[in-house]
Amino acid sequence: MLIGIAFWMLAVVAVLSGVAVFMVDSMARATYALALSFVAVGVQILLLQQGYLGLITILMMVMEMAVMAVYMVMFMGMNPALMPMDMTHGKKTAIGASVAAFVLLAGGALLIPWPEQRRGAIPGDLTHALGLEIMGEKMLVMAVMGPVMVATIVAGVVLAAHRTRYDRFGDDLSRRPADDPQSGGVGR
Amino acid sequence: MGVTRLLARLAVRSARVLVVEAPGQWLTRVELEQQMLRRGWGTAWTPADADVLAVCGAPGPELADLTERLWDQMPGPRARADIPSPSAVDGALDAAASLLLDTSYHRADARERAQKPQVTEDHEDMDHGDMDHEGMDHGDMDHEGMDHGDMDHEGMDHGDMDMAPEGIALAEGGEDRDGLEMDVLHLPLGPVLPFWPAGLVLLCSLQGDVVVDAEGSVVDGPGGLPSGGEPEAPPASAMAARCDGVVALLALTGAGRATTCARRARDALLRDDRRAAREAIETLHRTVRTSWLLRWSLRGVLTLDQSDLARHGLPQGCGGDAHDRLSSMVDRLRTEIADAEAASAASHAVPWEKVPQLVVGLELATARLAVASVGMEPFLVDQGVGHA
Amino acid sequence: MPDGALEIVPVWWAVPAGVILCALAYLAVALDARLSAHEDGHGGGWTVPLSRTARLLRQRRRTTLAADTLLWRIGGAGMFVGAFLVVAVIPLGRWVLADPQVGIVWFNVVDVMVWALVWLTGWGANSTHGLVGGYRFLAHGLAYELPLMFALVAPAIAASSLGVGDVVAAQDGLWFVVWMPVAFVIYLVGVAGFSVWGPFAPALAADIAGGVLAELSSVDRLVFQSGRFFFLTAGAAFSVPLFLGGGAGPVLPGWAWMLAKTVLVLAVLVWLRRRIPLWRPDRFMEIGWMVLLPAAVVQDLVVSLVVVRGG
Repeated sequence: MLIGIAFWMLAVVAVLSGVAVFMVDSMARATYALALSFVAVGVQILLLQQGYLGLITILMMVMEMAVMAVYMVMFMGMNPALMPMDMTHGKKTAIGASVAAFVLLAGGALLIPWPEQRRGAIPGDLTHALGLEIMGEKMLVMAVMGPVMVATIVAGVVLAAHRTRYDRFGDDLSRRPADDPQSGGVGR
Repeated sequence: MGVTRLLARLAVRSARVLVVEAPGQWLTRVELEQQMLRRGWGTAWTPADADVLAVCGAPGPELADLTERLWDQMPGPRARADIPSPSAVDGALDAAASLLLDTSYHRADARERAQKPQVTEDHEDMDHGDMDHEGMDHGDMDHEGMDHGDMDHEGMDHGDMDMAPEGIALAEGGEDRDGLEMDVLHLPLGPVLPFWPAGLVLLCSLQGDVVVDAEGSVVDGPGGLPSGGEPEAPPASAMAARCDGVVALLALTGAGRATTCARRARDALLRDDRRAAREAIETLHRTVRTSWLLRWSLRGVLTLDQSDLARHGLPQGCGGDAHDRLSSMVDRLRTEIADAEAASAASHAVPWEKVPQLVVGLELATARLAVASVGMEPFLVDQGVGHA
Repeated sequence: MPDGALEIVPVWWAVPAGVILCALAYLAVALDARLSAHEDGHGGGWTVPLSRTARLLRQRRRTTLAADTLLWRIGGAGMFVGAFLVVAVIPLGRWVLADPQVGIVWFNVVDVMVWALVWLTGWGANSTHGLVGGYRFLAHGLAYELPLMFALVAPAIAASSLGVGDVVAAQDGLWFVVWMPVAFVIYLVGVAGFSVWGPFAPALAADIAGGVLAELSSVDRLVFQSGRFFFLTAGAAFSVPLFLGGGAGPVLPGWAWMLAKTVLVLAVLVWLRRRIPLWRPDRFMEIGWMVLLPAAVVQDLVVSLVVVRGG
């Protein structure tokens, strides 16, 4: 009962703070409203007794939002906390896409023939069971995907950076230490 | 009432002092620091944290104006101590301490003050020349004069208040050093800033925390400061001044023990206790030479080779990076304390006009270290000796 | 499943637990003040936390122009509350308030919260110095957090569990610090990191007039600053069940050993502050990614190999 009430209250918090992302007029508030929304969802997952998934959701989202806020403020920010700013862009497309996504997801949730009552016993370790259910045989693929994604990110950054190793180490790559606008701490 | 009184008594024991140093009053400031230490008082780095506003020396009109603003920014209970000379320190601090205890006075003070921060009507005194605005103390964006340049272009002149919420001008974009469009914030460094050459104001344009542009000036006009060369000063005092520069640089690196050591050497020099000074300088020398963490944090900060020195017109002693300059300063102190005759006349002093061009392109912390590593002497060995 | 060795105590024990945290944090502040006073060559020290608190309680609150007060206050208050959340999963000898299966992740989540809290405190005041302080802290965060996470993984691998109780139980006989010293050191670096302590204090440094602290006064400053000390204390306390065998020790009862070890770790952290200069974020970034992270991963690998061979 108590858990049920908490769950629904968190759902309301998650939705309201999600709405707030588009209503507030400062980048910091929009970012952290989104973070709050994610945290509420994370706590809901905790209430579903998925301790690990819930906590990881909160952890990842808070970290991401913290970094995102800095990027937003540095690149397109105004003076700290000041400029009232519309947080929405490309409204028509955005509204269309989000309504479509909502209909799809909500429709799915409503139309799926959920079982009337529990079938089978509760597994001892929910997280483990859920992992097997989702991943199952595909664990190897997922394990390989991780490093591939990291490699892609690194490669993307290397290709996008306009300074190459020739700028850093000279034409014959022999200059030590490298010529960087900001020297690192290891002294390469 | 008992509790209030007890709270006040306890509170005063760890009061914090915001130090305003008029150019040339470093001896007063040093005496103040010693007295504060003795009382267990701390230094406040901003008015937000200050209980006492200590003004060393008689500020000129511009600095006085700034001091007034800092005073307005202090939360209270607050006390002001005007300290014209080193000998006045003790009395002024005593007075401040007893004023801080007077709770009913502070209640009245609080009632009389504006309850909301306001933008001072800065645009009205445009005619004073813009440096009035940039003075702006330790550079917080808030309270007042926010100002700086932008306000006149966008906010005030065009009367477009939306572009300047609460009277504060917005940041403009600009290309950063990696070719990305980034916002530019304007941050005045000085004249009231810890471990900063007294009187120097550096109006910096920041992208993120990289200084992309800087403009220098001296509070109350450059007349008060020697713009190069080393002024006449008794050797002990000159040494102590250089030692004070070492204190500032070490304090900025956050090396607590080394800073204490340098301060002890400085104080001993001022007391003319040469034996204690020699010991402290030896310890300092050992620390600076052997601490690889100190080396690590200062290495590569503002590296100046021969061509850079020639281009900026700087003295030879400024070559190398911040760690080299620190070492050479400590070495010089060591030679001089061992043999007063050996004191070299070679000046390492950097005229303040050169400082802005040195910090452009540096990240803010590096810029602070850079200024502390080159710009110290001319601001410290002050005309306090000459004028007094 | 939680190990039987730990006993879950009723919720009202949260109050004494909080009091113990406060007492230890008081000790940390006092020790720090005492050490500084000793070096500066004057007396005093042990009552400093009292007088500093009194000073800030007596001060008027102030705000700045166009401050984002909501976010600003959330930042400070969050710092104050955070460490208490950590304490919930730290066992005091045999007793613990909660021993979830994922206690270590819980700790990690709370320490990541600090990213948001410190930045918000820097942002909210609408001051350039505060904002720069916030940037600096996040730069530090990016450098210390991943190594810290991998350091937290080592005891979990060795105990085959993310539960704090299991980790303590797995150290029966041999403390983890003995065979995972690298993880222990990196963990302590992380503790200093999320407490914005010692070398990780550039976000609050003098060169930017106090940075995140620049505009904080009165009770706002008090909650932020005490939050830092609470985090430092809680971080030191959490290292005991993680690496130092929890309440294990001869003669004295478990809770006494737990406290003694915590005080020791805390004292080391406090003592180191004045001996280590600030680690500038731009410099430390490379250290974090090029030195600490590989070191932590290698430590994890060693631990995994030992567990696989032994198990």
